[in-house]
Amino acid sequence: MLLVALLLLPLAAAVPALVAPRYHPSIAATSAVASGAAFLAALGLARANLRGDVPSVGPGDFLRADGLSAVLALVVSGVACVSLWFGAGYLERVRDHGGLDDARLRRFYVLTNLFVATMLLAVTANNVGVMWVAVEGTTIATAFLIGLEHSKAALEASWKYILIGSIGIALAFVGTVLGYFDFVQRVGEAPHALHWTVLARASPGLNGDVLRLAFVFILVGYGTKAGLAPMHTWLPDAHSEAPAPVSALMSGVLLSVGIYALLRFKPVVDLAAGPEFARRILLVLGLASMAVAALFLWTSRNFKRMLAYSSVEHIGIVCLGLGFGGAWGVTGALAHIVNHALAKSALFLLAGRIRAAYDSAEVLAVRGLMGPLPRTGGAFLAAMLALMGLPPFGLFTSEVMIFGAGFREGRTVVTALGLALLVVAFAGLLRTTQTMLHGTPAQVPAHPSAGAWPAVPVLVALLLLVLTGLAWPPGLADALDRIATVVRG
Amino acid sequence: MSPALFSQLCALGSSLVLITGIAILWRHSLAVYIDYFARQSFVFVLVILGVAAYAGEAELYLVAAMVFLFKVMLIPRILRRVRRHVGVDIEVRPYVNVPASVALAGLLTLIAYAVTRPVVEISGLPTRAGIPLALAVVFVGLLIVVSRRSALAQIVGFLVLENGIALLAILATYGVPLIVELGAFLDVLLGFLVMQVFVYRIRETFDTIDVDRLSGLRH
Repeated sequence: MLLVALLLLPLAAAVPALVAPRYHPSIAATSAVASGAAFLAALGLARANLRGDVPSVGPGDFLRADGLSAVLALVVSGVACVSLWFGAGYLERVRDHGGLDDARLRRFYVLTNLFVATMLLAVTANNVGVMWVAVEGTTIATAFLIGLEHSKAALEASWKYILIGSIGIALAFVGTVLGYFDFVQRVGEAPHALHWTVLARASPGLNGDVLRLAFVFILVGYGTKAGLAPMHTWLPDAHSEAPAPVSALMSGVLLSVGIYALLRFKPVVDLAAGPEFARRILLVLGLASMAVAALFLWTSRNFKRMLAYSSVEHIGIVCLGLGFGGAWGVTGALAHIVNHALAKSALFLLAGRIRAAYDSAEVLAVRGLMGPLPRTGGAFLAAMLALMGLPPFGLFTSEVMIFGAGFREGRTVVTALGLALLVVAFAGLLRTTQTMLHGTPAQVPAHPSAGAWPAVPVLVALLLLVLTGLAWPPGLADALDRIATVVRG
Repeated sequence: MSPALFSQLCALGSSLVLITGIAILWRHSLAVYIDYFARQSFVFVLVILGVAAYAGEAELYLVAAMVFLFKVMLIPRILRRVRRHVGVDIEVRPYVNVPASVALAGLLTLIAYAVTRPVVEISGLPTRAGIPLALAVVFVGLLIVVSRRSALAQIVGFLVLENGIALLAILATYGVPLIVELGAFLDVLLGFLVMQVFVYRIRETFDTIDVDRLSGLRH
């Protein structure tokens, strides 16, 4: 029931936006309320998992929410809730300054709700083929969202995104077909052969060579979606050109949905081909992503691009955690996905606020913004410190877990390289933040007032980050541990 | 039909699909790209029908009908309309010239044979000889995308790649389960429709569909 509600709520919220003759604020309110309700449904799924149940519906458990799915569903619906709540006021302001018209505002609510629904389907579908269909669906739903404000740059970003995204995901389908082929060869045509639960049970008997080939395709495919270097080239453009609430969703959770898809295949491959294969590739791609990000964090002159590159860095860190493996590595990676979603969505929403105030996303154009916008600036600084991995915020804890796992698993060189890249990225982020916030104000913001209430979701995200940094609620550590055993196979 | 004959026919059909793909690399005209894509899809329909008849899989007739309707009829028609609207025909200066791209296609075919060895080894189906060729079609589609400057040519490349994947699914497993097949088909169709809208927009905004001119986004 909860599972069905989780998927139907965003779909239902898309309907009024689709049929209404023109945009009305009630469309925004409906979406915000529906996303809140979907978040409650995801909480219900998480609670069921804590009690030891695995909620499922449909023939052969068509939809299924184990702990891993529940965590992702929580993150997706949580960030969706924050984005839609914040988005209502933000987009109406952009419209009032002439950046959008009512028709596009309406389209935003249709497509964003569909986008959220496809992500939720991707993380709860038991069938890896349906998961693939849903992940590809996210590309289609977001293609028009990036270019919502119709600039030349946004059009260019959208084209890159749809082309690279579709091709990447097509390659993931090659991997899925090869995995299915292996299963059919060994086990025969079974009902629900593409269901993850069935695949995972059969995995020890599958052919390691075929699955290795399949995993390479899956890694390139879903890795493109997750923004792993060297398949990340679309990401900085798309994430920086999209409107703030969409950037928050794309950077905060869509990347993690790509990682989730990888995680569904990893235990199957580990059991058939040995864990070393997947781990090595994940470590290499993780380091490559961190290296690319560290480099570009020093050179980007646009603060939304800086945030986008930082997402590449953090997805790289998550991959390192998964590659190190062990209880700490995997648990740390899962915690890092949650922490990054919180920090990055808050930052993109704040960046949207700043951009709307100054009509620019250039670092130099907003220099010294602490003067005219002290509250936004203060929140931005706090969120940036969280993103850089400083205590008391959650990213510090998860990074300690991940790099600790590296040393524990005896991967000293990789861990040392990762830490070095982390420092380079840190310094780059700090430098840009410093330029943005302090110094003599470059100009007076054109539209400074934004009201206080859109700031509430940002504050909630920051408070949660302090919570995940200082004290995990009782039961969370156990729950993450149990999920980690699923991922480890 | 004897399994040996069927196996040879599958290999022949798959080779024809691959050759129509490589032929695109040979040419410079967008109109020809679209024609070749339609021909490739038609050969692919014949392969599906052959497998459907031999294996007695009723679902595959449905797949063949859909591929015919969309990839042979509808999508090429839409592509031709877009091309007429855009108005340019000759694909000037691809990133990789013709001899080099055809040589690369040959190399990619060899790579496809090398990497699919374990797959062909464990397959018990008479269609297995075509599996490396299907993967080669995927690679050739990818090559078309990265070596062409025109947004329309890149779409054709994506569609060729898609044909390769669908062919792989048919040859390796007689098709994936129907729900996945239908979902995947819908996604490709929607993705294609979104892409062609963007070609119109790119043309309106930049006055060209040469993606090389889309280079405003740096750092």
